[in-house]
Amino acid sequence: MFEFVNEKSEPLKSELMTVNMGPQHPATHGVLRVEIQTDSEVVARATPHIGYLHRCMEKHCENLDYRGVIPFADRLDYLAAMSMEWNYVLAVEKMLKTEVPERAEYVRVIIGELQRIASHLMFFGTYAIDLGAFTPFLYAFQDRENILRIFEEVSGARLLYNYIWVGGVWNDLTDDHLVRIENFLETFEESIKKYHKLVGENKIFISRTANVGVLSKEQVYDYGLTGPVLRGSGIDWDLRKNRPYSIYEKFDFDVIKGEGLKGKTGDCWDRYYVRMMEMHESIKIIRQALAGIEAGPVMGKVPKIIKPAKGEVYMRTECPRGELGIHLVSDGTKVPYRLKVKSSCFTHVSALAEMAPGMLIADLVAAIGSIDIVLGEVDR
Amino acid sequence: MSAEIEIHHLSSTRPQEESLTLGQWFRNIWSGLSTAFKGMMITGKYIYSVKPVTIEYPEVREQLPANSRSRLFNDAENCISCYQCATACPVDCIYITATRRDKDAEKIKTKDGTPIRLDLHQYTIDTALCCYCGLCTTVCPTECLTHTTDYEFAQYSLGGFKYDYLAPDIREWRNRLVED
Repeated sequence: MFEFVNEKSEPLKSELMTVNMGPQHPATHGVLRVEIQTDSEVVARATPHIGYLHRCMEKHCENLDYRGVIPFADRLDYLAAMSMEWNYVLAVEKMLKTEVPERAEYVRVIIGELQRIASHLMFFGTYAIDLGAFTPFLYAFQDRENILRIFEEVSGARLLYNYIWVGGVWNDLTDDHLVRIENFLETFEESIKKYHKLVGENKIFISRTANVGVLSKEQVYDYGLTGPVLRGSGIDWDLRKNRPYSIYEKFDFDVIKGEGLKGKTGDCWDRYYVRMMEMHESIKIIRQALAGIEAGPVMGKVPKIIKPAKGEVYMRTECPRGELGIHLVSDGTKVPYRLKVKSSCFTHVSALAEMAPGMLIADLVAAIGSIDIVLGEVDR
Repeated sequence: MSAEIEIHHLSSTRPQEESLTLGQWFRNIWSGLSTAFKGMMITGKYIYSVKPVTIEYPEVREQLPANSRSRLFNDAENCISCYQCATACPVDCIYITATRRDKDAEKIKTKDGTPIRLDLHQYTIDTALCCYCGLCTTVCPTECLTHTTDYEFAQYSLGGFKYDYLAPDIREWRNRLVED
């Protein structure tokens, strides 16, 4: 008789299997590597590894003049580049104490909210792809194309705009653009309702997302999560409402929060729901801005060479993916002494390790999709 | 066999539908079918009533907006070699060499009347490095450096992206673009 197990050797044991998800996995939204330890289908531990898209942006900006940083701020979150440069520009303006013309503020709000819609549409499309539905992606891109077309005509680029400048905006929106935006919003409002019916109320989608990746209020506070992820857990917090910057205090809109309509509060479905409903709120804001916009200059008085006084500022805004903070230190020269970006996506990635234990691998994909990260902003 | 077997067994935290009654079973089937049907109603409309939005690219070309930022073009005759574009460039992809013009040489001016005091010997832009941010065109005092709407300039080698704007053939490329 053969003895397969030697009694003197180590006892038989089963081990957790380590699987690498990424860095080039189609469901990771970029070059994110998640090291998963699994017991068959169930995830025991998930460790996100980042840094594959690190471009030394913060260090590089220390050698650029204040205007030259704007194209690099675009490349943080390349799906919401307008919001990124808006935040940076607000930080510089806060430092210089620049007056921005009224029309420029309105244009910024219109453009910023259109960017939010475009970004959330991108989420909607890719999230559906993550969960196995391809059609919504094409619908989302069809509507996003209209927004990008307006951006292209106004700024000259489709993705990395360099449009919002210190003191105002580069080009003015023409009356033709304003009419087109208004027409677009009319058709788009119907489209979102249709999309929500197609995806959000679908039985398969609900089964895949409800009660999955639940983040409680305490966990959200502990990890410092922001944006739709925070509101998805039922917390009423929006910087546009609570700490209004620019001219957001003029507009009337609601803060959407997750209510646990299909499962527990703070699950993937709630985060999806918050983003879909936020598009309706963006439409509301843009309509009010279109009604209130008046003719005038779009560029304020800014010195030719920007040289802020010695000091530092911290500016935070509500970007589509969460709260972006920019800490800018000036030593009185024409280049920033230090530029630190507090990224929302970076904190969201850290919450992945909290959500993962006990999940199925397929649900992990749903969780990664629901926190909606862009690796350009995570790694910088 | 006395070997002790240690087995990891993790159970999913995904909530299971434990008490599945017959009524619930039928309700699940009904909601699955009805929501799928609603979705099919929405997607079905796209078969006939919605026009295709895709552009068949090589055959059909989209006309880019006039201020679209594609490949740069420098009209070297109107350039006064002020170096402002090279200074503004955040990625340093513009290479300029210029020397002072002789005093007794013929006095020349740009189209808008600015006297040219420097002889331009090299004006090269590395398009592979360029990030198309448009900062160089906004600082240009004589507006000779502009973005064109030409986006089809693939090359076989990286060196091919260095465009010399003093070369004689570059103007031909520009003229062809304007005719189109």
